[in-house]
Amino acid sequence: MKIATLIRLRRRIRPATSDHVTAAVLERYATGGAGIRADALWAVEAHLEWCASCRERLGEAVARRSPETMSLLALVQAKLATEVARSPRMRVRRLPRRVSRWTPPGLWPRLAMTLLVLAAAVGLDLADNSRLLPSLVLLVAPVAPLLGVAGVWSAGIDPAHELVVASPRAGLYMVLRRTLAVLVVVIPTLAVAGWLAGASPARWLLPCLAFTGGALALGELIGLRWAAGALALAWTAGVITPSVLAARTPLLLEPASLPYWAGLIAVIAVALVLRRDAYTGLRSETWFVR
Amino acid sequence: MGAVTSMDEENLVRRIADGDRGAFDELYRRTSPWLAVRLRRRCADVEIVAEVMQETYLAVWRAAAAFAGASVGGSAVGWVWTIAARRLVDALRRRAREAQLPLAALPALAAPAAEDEVLDAVLGDAMGTALRRLSPDLRQVLQAMVLDGLTVRETAVLLGVPEGTVKTRARRARIALREALS
Repeated sequence: MKIATLIRLRRRIRPATSDHVTAAVLERYATGGAGIRADALWAVEAHLEWCASCRERLGEAVARRSPETMSLLALVQAKLATEVARSPRMRVRRLPRRVSRWTPPGLWPRLAMTLLVLAAAVGLDLADNSRLLPSLVLLVAPVAPLLGVAGVWSAGIDPAHELVVASPRAGLYMVLRRTLAVLVVVIPTLAVAGWLAGASPARWLLPCLAFTGGALALGELIGLRWAAGALALAWTAGVITPSVLAARTPLLLEPASLPYWAGLIAVIAVALVLRRDAYTGLRSETWFVR
Repeated sequence: MGAVTSMDEENLVRRIADGDRGAFDELYRRTSPWLAVRLRRRCADVEIVAEVMQETYLAVWRAAAAFAGASVGGSAVGWVWTIAARRLVDALRRRAREAQLPLAALPALAAPAAEDEVLDAVLGDAMGTALRRLSPDLRQVLQAMVLDGLTVRETAVLLGVPEGTVKTRARRARIALREALS
């Protein structure tokens, strides 16, 4: 049966339940006896679910007329008393509602991993007293948010992704909102790590935003997870590795290249908005993995 | 601490979520007769009903914090029923595995009674007539799916018929109702 039909039927039941159930019918219902017409029975059950006073009266009817049910109730209550006393209770104070509305699913493990990587980079930077290598914090900073960003909009990570996509708020707005939740944690951490390792935010903040935006824009084409992975891989292979091998800070992260990063961000922003509809539909597969 | 006796069920569940035993006992006092009667009309075996009730209230006690209903307009009593209906189906499934006896007792067939005229106004006339005209088989399926909110598979377990039969009956019931209501 179609869900819409069920809902329509339920709606039809509900408004008609304003009249209370008569004592006679209630008693017959309580004793489990036959003799309530099918549609009336239906109405009684629907009504009882909504009407506290009729439930109360049903309780009285049961007490009067159905000793068998009463002994059942007493038995269950006695068993419950011991079970309840020793049963563990569920704690679902996961996150305050406000926070959980902003965060993408499965964010915490990803953030923890990011923080761990940054901590390792800081540790290596601090251990490297003689400054043989370029600052690893600086090198990692541009791609640091990508691990979190990859989880912002992905069917593989979020079991409820299809539902989210179908929701009215789905789209670029929600993607940006969740990205912001990632950045709110990652950027301050980067700031602290950079301060410890002597990498000024002026040098990594724009690249960091460019990579975040770039992942979102590229994600419109090939899916966010692939996009974030591709960018992180490209940066690692193209910049981090050569810099570490050559032991010098890459040109891309020198203050001189900041205007180019700013220009790139502007281009990315335009691209992101132009193709924003990509985030309102379901993506079955990427264009290269069909 | 307000008196639990003057609270509505949603507030009681919220208090239970905070570990209030008094609220739990009050919820049990208020809803258990209703739940017992409703379950017994769906399952003749008192033992199963007792087991289901115990599991249901234990689940209420443990998982009250997960009840989000009040903020989305759901009723706590409906939530309790949802748990109970699922537990009933689970219990029947378990029994069916353990033994061969199908325990899902069919609800007593309705014999029209004089007093029922009072209830004529309760359901819309067309709806009431349509329901009454449905054959008991179809009505049971409809009742399990619409009133008790079960899925096709759960309905099949509850009524002890194959899933395909449930689907066919639901379809026939829907067609019959649509004809009657149009």
